[in-house]
Amino acid sequence: MTATTVHHEAHTQVPTPPGGAWRMLYRAGWIRAAWMAPAFGAIGLGIVTVLRWWGGWHPILDTAPDVLVGLLVSAPIGFLAGIGTFDYWAYYATGRPTRPEDHSSHGARSWKDYFRVNTDHKVIGVQYMVTTFFFFLAGGMLALLLRAELASPGVQYVDPQTFNGLFSVHASLMIFLFIVPVFAGIANFVVPLMLGAPDMAFPRLNALSFWLLPVAGVMMLGSFLVPGGAFACGWTGYVPLCSTHQPLGAVFFNQGVQWAGASSIMTALNFLVTIITMRAPGMTFWRMPLLVWANFTTSLLVVVATPFIAGSQFFSMFDHVMHTAFFNTAQGGYPLGYQHIFWFYSHPAVYIMILPGFGIMSEVISVFSRKPVFGYRLMALSLMAIVVLGFSVWAHHMFVSGMASWLRVPMMITTLLIAVPTGIKIFSWLATMWEGKLHFKTPMLFALGFLSMFVIGGLSGVMLGSVPIDIHMSDTYFIVAHIHYVLFGGSVFTIFAGLYYWFPKVTGRMYDEKLGKLHFWLTFVGFNLTFFPMHILGTEGMPRRVADYAPKFADLNMFVSLASFALGASTLVFLYNMITSWRNGEPAGDNPWRAMTLEWQVTSPPPIFNFDELPQVVGSPYEFGVPGAKHAILSPSRAKTLEEVGV
Amino acid sequence: MRRGSVLSLVAIGIVAGAIATAVAVFLPWLPTPASREAGRIDFVIWFVIGISIFVFAVVIAALLYSIVRFRAAPDDESDGPPIHGHTKLEIVWTLIPTLLVTAIGVVSAVVLAQNDALGKDVLRVNVTAQQFAWSFSYPDSGNLTSATLRLPKGRSVLLTLHTKDVIHSFWVPEFGQKQDTVPGLTTTVHITPDRLGTFPVICTELCGLGHALMRSTAVVMQPAAFQKWIAGQTKATNSPNPATAGQAVFTNNGCANCHTLKAAGATGKVGPDLDKLVQEAKQAGQPLAAFVKQSITDPSAYVAPGYPDHIMPSTFGSALSSQQLDALVSYLVSSSKKG
Repeated sequence: MTATTVHHEAHTQVPTPPGGAWRMLYRAGWIRAAWMAPAFGAIGLGIVTVLRWWGGWHPILDTAPDVLVGLLVSAPIGFLAGIGTFDYWAYYATGRPTRPEDHSSHGARSWKDYFRVNTDHKVIGVQYMVTTFFFFLAGGMLALLLRAELASPGVQYVDPQTFNGLFSVHASLMIFLFIVPVFAGIANFVVPLMLGAPDMAFPRLNALSFWLLPVAGVMMLGSFLVPGGAFACGWTGYVPLCSTHQPLGAVFFNQGVQWAGASSIMTALNFLVTIITMRAPGMTFWRMPLLVWANFTTSLLVVVATPFIAGSQFFSMFDHVMHTAFFNTAQGGYPLGYQHIFWFYSHPAVYIMILPGFGIMSEVISVFSRKPVFGYRLMALSLMAIVVLGFSVWAHHMFVSGMASWLRVPMMITTLLIAVPTGIKIFSWLATMWEGKLHFKTPMLFALGFLSMFVIGGLSGVMLGSVPIDIHMSDTYFIVAHIHYVLFGGSVFTIFAGLYYWFPKVTGRMYDEKLGKLHFWLTFVGFNLTFFPMHILGTEGMPRRVADYAPKFADLNMFVSLASFALGASTLVFLYNMITSWRNGEPAGDNPWRAMTLEWQVTSPPPIFNFDELPQVVGSPYEFGVPGAKHAILSPSRAKTLEEVGV
Repeated sequence: MRRGSVLSLVAIGIVAGAIATAVAVFLPWLPTPASREAGRIDFVIWFVIGISIFVFAVVIAALLYSIVRFRAAPDDESDGPPIHGHTKLEIVWTLIPTLLVTAIGVVSAVVLAQNDALGKDVLRVNVTAQQFAWSFSYPDSGNLTSATLRLPKGRSVLLTLHTKDVIHSFWVPEFGQKQDTVPGLTTTVHITPDRLGTFPVICTELCGLGHALMRSTAVVMQPAAFQKWIAGQTKATNSPNPATAGQAVFTNNGCANCHTLKAAGATGKVGPDLDKLVQEAKQAGQPLAAFVKQSITDPSAYVAPGYPDHIMPSTFGSALSSQQLDALVSYLVSSSKKG
């Protein structure tokens, strides 16, 4: 298989513009970003300063947050413009000549190509996965600092401001910079291949979506460095604590969420258009792999829900910076309004963080059981059911908030009902394994770990759905345990499964199976030892988000802290495995798992435009055990010719 | 399915269920309830845990059985049978969970209604939350204020919650019930204490830097002892003797939670030691009485070295009457001079 196609000539030769070293300053890339970010930042600061001077305030000194907002809005735009995400659109808008088939920014020929704006969905996928994994490590380090402080009662290592900053930034990074975008990264790599498409529908928008992420992540981590410390009101950012009682760092949270949110909306639109319009001939909706279904439904959730968190953070920031009164009671605002808007995003966000994982599970469990996914259509429909129900349960986060009490029972009913489609998925995976030929490779181990852990997280979720139980458990360590069983035992296990599963496809090399298994067992045991005791801490009465606690919880907390260090260390095994296998792993071959979906039918790593010719899809992607069954014919015209000559 | 496989499946399920049950029964999960509401909540918890153990056992049994029974040999490249689905089975595992969650919903709704229903002869208590202290007042007893929540056993209590600043949340684990306090809103929570004892009052909603320290105590007393306490406190607060009145203000406003003061038997370590007020005033360069008054009404004006700012509530200036404030200042001045 060759790397180019008839239609897509890869322009490897970028015409070098004449001129000396000065040209470097103007060419898209890190040098231009390095001067454009501060330049734009200065312009933003300047605008705010002039406005403040004009309005009769002291331009800079008396209050800093609104000055900061100017900087945080404009400097990232400068960075994005400098690195080159807007170049093509700028050419287009100013009427300069553009080359519609310009593929100079497509594909990666050396490691340097991963550090520039690239429009290849496979390169962007890798950029996403590596970047988000960096923030996973950063967020994990913050968690270990928290556990060090919590190992014994009283305050030992960090002051209250830092402690509150640690858990706030930990959660924000894990949610907005790891789990949500890492799934977008995996899907970026896999979905166009699975669809038989040469790329995503909007490759340049795809590149922009990725480059927004480091902006958001640096902003959230950077909040530790500003005077007063990081935002310290939790990732939920409840008002009025976060709008009136916070240091400068709160603005970093408000703004960081906007950049991450914009990234996820753009990616979701891109996935929707790609999935709806770029399926290969014969790829009907009922022939799409469940991973594609999962990303389709996730994207629906993202597009509808994410604007709500953007709104909530803008309003909260306006209250903080400009003294508006959206949520300020003294001026007629309504603090619970924040919680309703926030959770109208943040509950669906829970499904945004698990549905793509469900998709990965369906692929992995089917392939390593050598059996079709059991009840394929009901699996797809239950995803849709979760999308619809997911929008009607948000107020179960607010049972003790003081909201209208009649709202509690209806929200409890929808919350409990959402367990039904989730249950269907669990039972269908079990039935997929039934009578199969199970191969316990690392991805499958993580899938089985996911099944058992997610059942616990799901059942504790049903408990919390019940209003009387939730009244007792709200804001205790039981909640911390529940969310980690769902997001770590659930989402993170599926992420590891996916990373191991597609590692040979992405790199062309095989990971070390022994290290993979070691990583699984360390993670599985470390995870349970860390998070299971938290259930007990919570029911017994330890509140969450506290640096200091009653002495009777000391032993269990010490145990949890020690286990968490072991869990943290297990990630080193993964890192070592990934890095060494990428450099010197055994060549993996095109289809080491003998899977039927399209991404495994091309070379590893796939050619630059994926397919020589649009494949013709002829059947389901999971026809294991059906003699002669095919998902797709890869080169339809060649197959036809062969048929004609009688091969 | 063969009979042997059904038997081993059931056996694994029973073992998994038994282990889960042992974890549920033998680990110390819930505090011993001290209110009727907590008793009912515990019932719902055990009801749902029972259902959960059943579902968990079913899933784990199927999982473990498959892992053992359907493991492929390393060189086995064959596929499993092409089973695409089974409509009846899929209907069953849609309907049974629906029935189970419906049962949970009904039980929960009934218990919620019971827990919210007020009994006869309701005792009303106003709860005021502020960064980072609780205060409780009894509107039926001349708004007598106390830093500890004292309640008579067996009587229906309606707590009405307000906050002076941000959102807090009132929780006594042994009472089960929990409720946020929201700026600008009045929220209520209903408790019927049914066990004598002393229990922690905890703030469970992140409310700022001192959130972890926002604790108080709830004491459930015999009704007669409660009445006696009310009468005694009312008398002390109205006492013409400033030392008695000042000490009442000191204890009723929760000063002892954070400060040490020998005269009041207070041993708090969060804020500065009030037995050393004389030295502190010297360090701040102010006359003692003025220094004490300023430190109560405007705690950020002078922050003792080694202590963080913004932990001490800044609202005592407006919360206390000028008479109470003067009594408190003279009490602190006289007791610190003695100490």
